[in-house]
Amino acid sequence: MLEIRDLWFSYSKGYVLKGINVKLRKGVGCLLGPNGVGKTTLLKCVCGALRPAKGEVLLDGRDVLKLSYVDRAKLVSYVPQELSLRFPYTVLSVVLMGRTPHLNILAGPKEGDVKAALEALELLNIKHLARKPFTSLSGGEKRLALIARALAQESKLLLLDEPTSFLDFRNMHLVLSIVKETVRSTGRVALMTLHDPNIACMYCDEVFIMKDGRVVNSGPPQDVVTEDAISRVYGLTVRVVRVNGHKVILPQRPICGERVETCLHR
Amino acid sequence: MRKCVLMQALMLAIAFSASLFLGRILFPPWSLNGMHDVILTYIRLPRLVAVVLVGAGLGLAGTSFQNVFRNYLAGPGVLGTTAGSAFGAAVAILLTQASSMTVQVSAFFFGLIATLIAYRLARLVGEDSTLSLVLAGIVVSALFSGLVGLIKYEADPYNKLPTIVYWLLGSFSGIRWCDLTPSLPPLLAGILTLLLLRWVLNILSLSDEEAKSLGVNVSLYRSIIIVAATLATSASTSMAGMIAWVGVVSPHIARLLVGFDNRDLIPASALVGATLLLVCDDIARSLWSAELPLSVVTDFVGAPILFAILVRRRLQYHVRD
Repeated sequence: MLEIRDLWFSYSKGYVLKGINVKLRKGVGCLLGPNGVGKTTLLKCVCGALRPAKGEVLLDGRDVLKLSYVDRAKLVSYVPQELSLRFPYTVLSVVLMGRTPHLNILAGPKEGDVKAALEALELLNIKHLARKPFTSLSGGEKRLALIARALAQESKLLLLDEPTSFLDFRNMHLVLSIVKETVRSTGRVALMTLHDPNIACMYCDEVFIMKDGRVVNSGPPQDVVTEDAISRVYGLTVRVVRVNGHKVILPQRPICGERVETCLHR
Repeated sequence: MRKCVLMQALMLAIAFSASLFLGRILFPPWSLNGMHDVILTYIRLPRLVAVVLVGAGLGLAGTSFQNVFRNYLAGPGVLGTTAGSAFGAAVAILLTQASSMTVQVSAFFFGLIATLIAYRLARLVGEDSTLSLVLAGIVVSALFSGLVGLIKYEADPYNKLPTIVYWLLGSFSGIRWCDLTPSLPPLLAGILTLLLLRWVLNILSLSDEEAKSLGVNVSLYRSIIIVAATLATSASTSMAGMIAWVGVVSPHIARLLVGFDNRDLIPASALVGATLLLVCDDIARSLWSAELPLSVVTDFVGAPILFAILVRRRLQYHVRD
């Protein structure tokens, strides 16, 4: 179980996160909200990339913020939107990097680590990419390789920053199904950020709606993703319809008045 | 991959053995007389050992800087580490009786300062861009070269000036076993540290946030690596002067041989650096009747190689800047 309690964070002036509270019992949780509300910042705080001003992140009762980098990385793995790779390492090298918290840092990865990395690639059906340069992969393959890295890290909690960005329609659903299935079958917990409430309804067990650095609404998608809540958070009138039992959220047209640019967020 | 590294080691061994019998006095290994023995053990052997260690140190420093600064143009020369160390050593020669210990310490201290200034300046110019670090390095190098010029101007023209000038041009000539000893501990310490941290270099070549999320204490390891690379550079500089290009070129040659993963790249760039400097030193001492300054040779050899490789690598290096 993941529980984030009263988490505050500031880059330089002004708080970006203002007392975040999240409770995710199991399965896949999703942060929804407009650009710039602090979704990515929250994930980075949980994985230790950023240091929050105050708050607790309890994973099965242990505060991961109090752990060392190594111990935290054993429990929490992070899948960034895009890997900022300067040198074209092979996919296997990139996935092996996920083994870092488990290995003797001076000795580097051993046979067992290579095996774990290959197993993670196998699980996602991309073992054939192992020897290719990471930079030569397509968007979807890159995303899968990064998820494989997170799986090789063998951590309880998976954090995914917009796992659907840059992906085509099919790959988007493929990646999310794989995440959901892996989380279910391995007993992990995943927290991800998403932009599309429709997608969140399809794949998430729990939704956290964020606005201005706070979680304003949370619960199972059928309760939380409502016309009213989505319209309020995004400042956009939406209608919820049902197709074959699935909730579908549709924006009402016209989105705004005559001048589109005046109603863009930020 | 491992095989490539072994091949490299073999190449180095061959180059080393051949270099023993090269030079002003050429003699084949099968007919040695007493004089040849003396030349081998007291002149050529210490010199070649120094060349190999300095080449390895510079190659390692280059690869390490390229990874921690996430910049394939970084190197001890480009960053200004070499210029800083040269200034440090020159100051020590000017102000003291040039005890080798003071020269070492001063070279290391100013080398480290130069590196840190370049790093800080680069972040002011533009976060995480290839160009900003190079620009900052140019500024730092200019600053310390200016200071070295000032020292030359101040130095006693009969006694200290020639020492400083010839040493700055870079040369291994006249190195005996006893000249090796003061530079050996810092050089070996730098080389061994960098060899040990090769896996960490992979992680540090990612962004700070990613490296942290993989469980690596970024600031700690980055500091250790910068200190170790500076140690290797400053020890090299105080032993043999300013040797340009070897540090930045060796990693690129090594990448052509073993790829980008630092687990293989680090040993390979040490071996390539050593072999490259050995060849340059051979050219310096056998091409002309008088010995050429080493930095002249490395300029002529290193710069075109770097350019050729960058042209060839253009596509691969063009990763989101």
